[in-house]
Amino acid sequence: MRLSRSTAWLLALPWLITFGAFWLFPVIYSLIVGFTDYQLLEPEWHWVGLENFKQLLSDPDFISALENTFIFVIGTIPFTTVISLAMALLLNRKFPGRGLFRSGYFVPSITSLVVISLIFTSLYQRGGYVAMLAEMIGLTTPEYGFLQDSGTALYAIMAMDVWMSVGYYMLVFLSGLKAIPDELYEAAEISGAGRIRQFFSITLPLLKPTMLFVLVINSIKSFQVFIEIFVMTKGKFDTMTAVYFIYERGLTTEFAFGYASAAAYILLIIIAIFSVAQFLLLRRKAPLW
Amino acid sequence: MVRRSSPLSVTLRYAASIIILGIMIFPLLWMFRVSLLGPGGIGFERLASTAITLGNYADLFTSSGMGRYLVNSSLVAAVVVGGNILFCFMVAYTLARYRSLSNKLLFISVILVLMIPVHIVIIPMYVLMVRTGMYDTYFALILPWLVNPIGVFLVKQYIESIPPSMEEAARIDGAGEFRILFQVVMPLCKPALAVLAIQVFFTNWNAFLFPFILTSSDELRTLPVGLALLQGHQAIDWQHLMAGSSIAVLPVLILFAFLQRQVVSGITAGAVKQ
Repeated sequence: MRLSRSTAWLLALPWLITFGAFWLFPVIYSLIVGFTDYQLLEPEWHWVGLENFKQLLSDPDFISALENTFIFVIGTIPFTTVISLAMALLLNRKFPGRGLFRSGYFVPSITSLVVISLIFTSLYQRGGYVAMLAEMIGLTTPEYGFLQDSGTALYAIMAMDVWMSVGYYMLVFLSGLKAIPDELYEAAEISGAGRIRQFFSITLPLLKPTMLFVLVINSIKSFQVFIEIFVMTKGKFDTMTAVYFIYERGLTTEFAFGYASAAAYILLIIIAIFSVAQFLLLRRKAPLW
Repeated sequence: MVRRSSPLSVTLRYAASIIILGIMIFPLLWMFRVSLLGPGGIGFERLASTAITLGNYADLFTSSGMGRYLVNSSLVAAVVVGGNILFCFMVAYTLARYRSLSNKLLFISVILVLMIPVHIVIIPMYVLMVRTGMYDTYFALILPWLVNPIGVFLVKQYIESIPPSMEEAARIDGAGEFRILFQVVMPLCKPALAVLAIQVFFTNWNAFLFPFILTSSDELRTLPVGLALLQGHQAIDWQHLMAGSSIAVLPVLILFAFLQRQVVSGITAGAVKQ
């Protein structure tokens, strides 16, 4: 089976162009620009070495954006993971209506994030449904609504994020659960292991690759949270996240391409470290649980 | 395997499933209900009323750019989906059938892009579009998204599962490369291409970040961008905003209802290969 060399290249051309122009070039470009003071409105630019990076690390806005991003990642991932796994276990058995539940749970995952953010902006507002619910169980609610209060805004957005992501990760866990052979559970049953024992000795260890995938994908996504922030708070009330910071510095008012690109690279490095750490942790031979 | 369940555990399972279902779909049901309400409050008491109006939808099309946004979203999605079917197939075919070192490098580039966090691309993409004059044109909305790496990956795996004997036979019969490609292999790939098309459609239809930063004029807004900015810039009530949201969500929900299997396998495509 031979494809002629020229045909092969011709067929690959669309990808080569896309890759070169829209991925390779941007990644290299922003690395280079990160070492300059380039701004849209200033025709002249200079090399500034590590100046952007130094300035960023002492820029209180950037530090607090990083903090918020970390709160977002660390605060959502455990909930999303545990809830979606629980949902997957719930639907892992065949029972009438299972398909309907599975589809229903998945609906938020295919809904536009802008739309979800708009809906929750309304649900979270003063006198809105969430406030009513909270008051019903005797909680005090912020005076101007959950999104207009520095103490609650970020957490409200995080709760929404968990709500909308669990359906997708449930499906991922379901496909992981399907790959575990039934014989293992039968054998466990025969040797007298209870449900809980089975979960910790069979299900969890065999779900490790799925778990790794879920954690890595979810953290990469969460580190980049932006759309929710843009629609719901515009970065106000202590909800400024790293990507919102990049957007605000790079593409509004001053258009500080250099400074924003350097910030983007710092975030990239953090994401890379985080992913590698998760990978190494979960790849250990010794059981984690 | 038959594991007997007690009536109690069956009841609990249904109760839990139903409660979760309620939590997961309430916000969307709420959106549809509010979109059908006349002017006034949006509290509980009004949701229960049976009064329904389509006036909000009519208003959006007559007095805001919603019609235009809908056309833009549809147009961009159609072109991007069409482009992906053609281009992902071409690239995937080379990757599946042409084995060489450069091909391995090509495949690595596909995987690499899957791992790049998009935030790194925001500023360079903006600069690129401004410098090439594509900023605020349909090109900016379409060109970067014509070859989806996940799509290439998906179709490549599918082609690899097709025995090459069909292509050999066609070649012996004297068919040319492109004839084999488009008349023999492509029809066989329909299932994978369908999954690809749906996945690309969903991603593109819901896309906000790049359509938002790469355009500025109202005439070029897609639905998500139009909706997000409608909320920010105009005095608009929730009824109208939710009507607009419903317009953005409906096509996706309808597709999902009819093509669940393809939707799910497309969206979890990344998870299959670990």
